[in-house]
Amino acid sequence: MSSFLLQTILNGILAGCIYSLFAMGLTLIYGVLNFVNFAHGELIMWGAYFLYFLMEKPLSLPLSFALLPALFLTVLIGLGSDRLIFKPLRKANRLTLLITSLGLSFLLRNGAQLFWGAEIRTYGLEIKKGMRFLGVSITLNQVAIIVVSVLCIFLLYLFFYKSRMGKSMRAISDDLELARVMGIPSDRTIQWTWVIASSLAGLGGILLALDTNLHPGMGLINLVKAFAATLLGGVGNLWGALFGGMIIGLAENISIWILSPGYKDAIAFGIMVVMLLFRSSVVFSSKE
Amino acid sequence: MDLFLHLSVMSLIYIIFALSLNLEIGYTGLFNFGHVAFFGIGAYTSALLTLHHFPFEISLLVALFLSGISGFLLSLPSLRLRGDFFGIATLGFGEIIRMVFQNEVWLTKGPMGLPGIPKPKLLSVRFATLPQYLLLTLGFAILTFLILRGIIRSPFGRVLKGIREDEIAAEALGKNVYRFRIKSFVVGSIFAGLAGVLWGHYTTFISPNDFTIIETVLVLLIVVLGGKGTEWGPILGAILLIFFQESLRFLRLPPEYSRYLAPLQQMIFGALLILMMLFRPEGLIKERREHGCLS
Repeated sequence: MSSFLLQTILNGILAGCIYSLFAMGLTLIYGVLNFVNFAHGELIMWGAYFLYFLMEKPLSLPLSFALLPALFLTVLIGLGSDRLIFKPLRKANRLTLLITSLGLSFLLRNGAQLFWGAEIRTYGLEIKKGMRFLGVSITLNQVAIIVVSVLCIFLLYLFFYKSRMGKSMRAISDDLELARVMGIPSDRTIQWTWVIASSLAGLGGILLALDTNLHPGMGLINLVKAFAATLLGGVGNLWGALFGGMIIGLAENISIWILSPGYKDAIAFGIMVVMLLFRSSVVFSSKE
Repeated sequence: MDLFLHLSVMSLIYIIFALSLNLEIGYTGLFNFGHVAFFGIGAYTSALLTLHHFPFEISLLVALFLSGISGFLLSLPSLRLRGDFFGIATLGFGEIIRMVFQNEVWLTKGPMGLPGIPKPKLLSVRFATLPQYLLLTLGFAILTFLILRGIIRSPFGRVLKGIREDEIAAEALGKNVYRFRIKSFVVGSIFAGLAGVLWGHYTTFISPNDFTIIETVLVLLIVVLGGKGTEWGPILGAILLIFFQESLRFLRLPPEYSRYLAPLQQMIFGALLILMMLFRPEGLIKERREHGCLS
């Protein structure tokens, strides 16, 4: 029984690591650009599909070679959407940006469906038998997920607190006008924000697809989870997003004891509603 | 001729659907991205009740009531959120309602869907043939249009517009913004439910796959393309987009291409949303700004 509990917690932490990567990217874009990017989920999905594309037939690259190009392509989508769509709308109101990013999300999702169809796919890696450890089973992939996530979070910490660009990003996120007055180049900082948010999304998507599978709908549902994690941790708060992601991952896996697994994806939403009802001061409705 | 009648029925149903969303997005400034949930609740409720031999009048009323109640329950927590967060919360709600349709197999038959939904019989008149059904939907569409127009032109509607333009000013004038928004959301949900009822009895088969984000994007695009915050915009948008979408279905394409048709069409919808926002955010019909509006 206790090993069952440990297994649930381990699965929760695994999912939590991935959700944290999603949520940190989402909250970063929100902090710097001040809008919720609905298309963030689609960056997650395209990251996973780019890897699939590189590892499949004509190219058949091994995972280790395909990883960086896949992330690079995901970043290109992020930067491209900023250059073509969000940059001309920099001064637009938030609701215009919202509809635009919803449109972009729909465009990207169906784009993936056009190329790869709606069916569920996997990377076709051979399934390795899990190692037993304290009565808990864990595969090498899963160890990799945890290691990569922790590494990412550590690198992000270094970036935000030690590098000039990271500090600029935090400054812009605090107060755009003031940051401009201080001579922080906002255009370059915004581009770097997209680079980081897209790589986090792409990497998270790849890790998720390694552990489970790929399908064009994976972006939307993970966007909702990332958003719930963001709310849980306080919007625009990077470490809050990390914490929120973990909570959601754990809650989802623990919920299986009580609820039908068909509702696993609804847990994030449930947590969000409960939180809003009892802690409505986190995000309040006034102010445009 | 039948094709034309079919297109007209579908357009009218989507006109009702879009008008209800326009009340929320266009007039109240509530960015509801889960409107399909209420469409689905209306469709499933009425379908289930009539399949269990309840009269259509009762099924319709229960369906509208349930749509309104679920709108109320959703709005209580989510309307505490600011505009864009409200958008994602409603988007999530839409997905969850679909999960309920899919998972509660004892009630909804899950992914199998509900076949054989009977044609409605209202006040002992049966609306079975296509022209009859057209009359029914036309009646409901006119009713919806008149009721929603009445609401928008009333003092209540002017407060909604005031909230959309400047929430703080509306609050300073003593209006309870949260309550006005809830009321607008509930009314919108009820009429979305009505559209769902009419749609379910028209197609006679519904399944969870009919209530995805695709419907949300379509109805949003109808409102945005036609012109949000206008009386005729959603009507124009619905006619244009439904004629476009439904006539694509009648293209005789070789089967190896038809797989690409649906994603392509939806990519066009997504791209249209972006292009509208970039180049003509006010839509085809532009809202006239009245004097005395808080702006």
